[in-house]
Amino acid sequence: MTALAVRNLVKRFGGLTATNDVSFDIAPGQSVGLIGPNGAGKTTIFSQVMGELRQSAGTITLFGNEISGLSTPGRIRRGVCRTYQVPRPFHDLTVAENIRVGLAPNSIWQLVTRRPDHAREAEIALGVGLRETDFDRAPTELSMGDLRKLEFARTLATGARVMLLDEVFAGLTVGEIQVVSDLILGLRRDGMTFLMVSHDLKALEPLVDRVIAIDQGRKIAEGSYREVLDDPDVRASYLGGQG
Amino acid sequence: MGLRWYHFALWGGFILFMYLLPEFVSRGTLRTIIFANFLAVFAISWDVISGRTGYVSFGHPFLIGIGAYTTAILTKRFGVPVELSIPLAVLATMAGGLIVLIPALRIRGSYFALVTLAFMELMYQLVQVIRPDLTGGTRGMSGIQTLTRGAENGFYMSFTLLAVLSVGTWLLMRTQFGTALSAISMDEDSVAGSGLNTVKLKTAAFLVSAFVAGVGGAFYVHYLGSLAPRALFDINFVFTIIVAALIGGASTIVGPIIGAFFLTFLLEYLRPWLPGAERYFIYGGVALLLYMYQPKGFYAIIMAGWSRLRARMARRKPGARA
Repeated sequence: MTALAVRNLVKRFGGLTATNDVSFDIAPGQSVGLIGPNGAGKTTIFSQVMGELRQSAGTITLFGNEISGLSTPGRIRRGVCRTYQVPRPFHDLTVAENIRVGLAPNSIWQLVTRRPDHAREAEIALGVGLRETDFDRAPTELSMGDLRKLEFARTLATGARVMLLDEVFAGLTVGEIQVVSDLILGLRRDGMTFLMVSHDLKALEPLVDRVIAIDQGRKIAEGSYREVLDDPDVRASYLGGQG
Repeated sequence: MGLRWYHFALWGGFILFMYLLPEFVSRGTLRTIIFANFLAVFAISWDVISGRTGYVSFGHPFLIGIGAYTTAILTKRFGVPVELSIPLAVLATMAGGLIVLIPALRIRGSYFALVTLAFMELMYQLVQVIRPDLTGGTRGMSGIQTLTRGAENGFYMSFTLLAVLSVGTWLLMRTQFGTALSAISMDEDSVAGSGLNTVKLKTAAFLVSAFVAGVGGAFYVHYLGSLAPRALFDINFVFTIIVAALIGGASTIVGPIIGAFFLTFLLEYLRPWLPGAERYFIYGGVALLLYMYQPKGFYAIIMAGWSRLRARMARRKPGARA
């Protein structure tokens, strides 16, 4: 069974085809990089998998179940969750409360009657490398690296089994890139499935089993990191008209 | 967000203090407090939608009006007893809350505020045009059954209402439900991106807010014994509700109570010197100064003072737990 299967995905915005007949499979526990130049349509694919955008054609299945008809929260409850290019924490809630929102049950009755699971909040926070002293802090007091960790924590709190990481290294220092890479490797060892977009190809290399390259909405290459980066079409797309 | 013994002690102390108040203050002051109590109820209702979820309503009297008119018409025109008319009025207001929810499914910010303002104006026009024999048209209604007689009873009734509604909503907002609603005002898409159905959350918030507005509106009309559409569906009334919640501290429940009392007494004490609308300049000025100093209102000022005091006490006791 595949963790995430995308079949003949098409997304049109008027005359522009942002996703053009893209298909790929990711097996459980696999980690796949999605690369391409700016405007290639990487984030558009993420948005369609999450249901933030509805595809014009094609299907998306998660662990064998078609999820194309579900709302975003419905898909998240089935086990897929994403992070954003710019972290989007709830700025007036504490770190612990941010994670609480990810853990929260999707029933008003349970939201009112169930007590927050502080032990689980702490477990998740410490698991991604946040410190106990961070729990009551506001996200505005955190460094970019810690904000990324908080995003991971909230995503993990939703019970995600497939994580889509959008430009996960953007805005991080060299040291922070290492910390986040280690976090991803740790989660991989625990069986997490990843699809990740990054412009930092060097940082991506040790994290992925496979790479998919897209350009102008179309898949142009798929294979090992080396194969895809050596592909003449991929090189041409990255170098633009000069290639 | 946990509950502590001192939270309940503070609520208990406040409620006890208020219940003893009629022993010490004049009837005139009690009458002022009655209005403060009702304003606090309306401000809490507004705060549940607007302070929490960030959907700023400029038409809250639309909901209050549904509650007030429903019970007034049922009791006066159809002889329905208040025991039945008030619950029916609250149900009707909650249905009204769902009407306010409809635009909130698609739009937010100033667009949502304008639509709610239109709801209030629409309601004002409708009560004059549709069946004025029932609503009393432009002149409103008088001779509506009152539940209490005298300032003391009115005070106990209005304060009991405020105490029950404020403690109830306060407890509700301290649950994970309250946390999720606050998160909506910060980034609604991220709430959906955390697996929560925001439509369901907003529906619940609007129903809670409408419930409070309905109870407040119904009891208010049975306190006053009359109903004047121009005073109810009035932009000044809207601003008084919003400013009460904001200067007290939005999204806190305690803040709107502080704000309502402050505003009511400010306007009342200014009356001998400034009997006309000039008073509103002073209140606008006070609100402006406060926003410049602390946009989160009195509640934030009090909490900052409290944590400074605690820090100082902790420093004085060497070896004590910080």
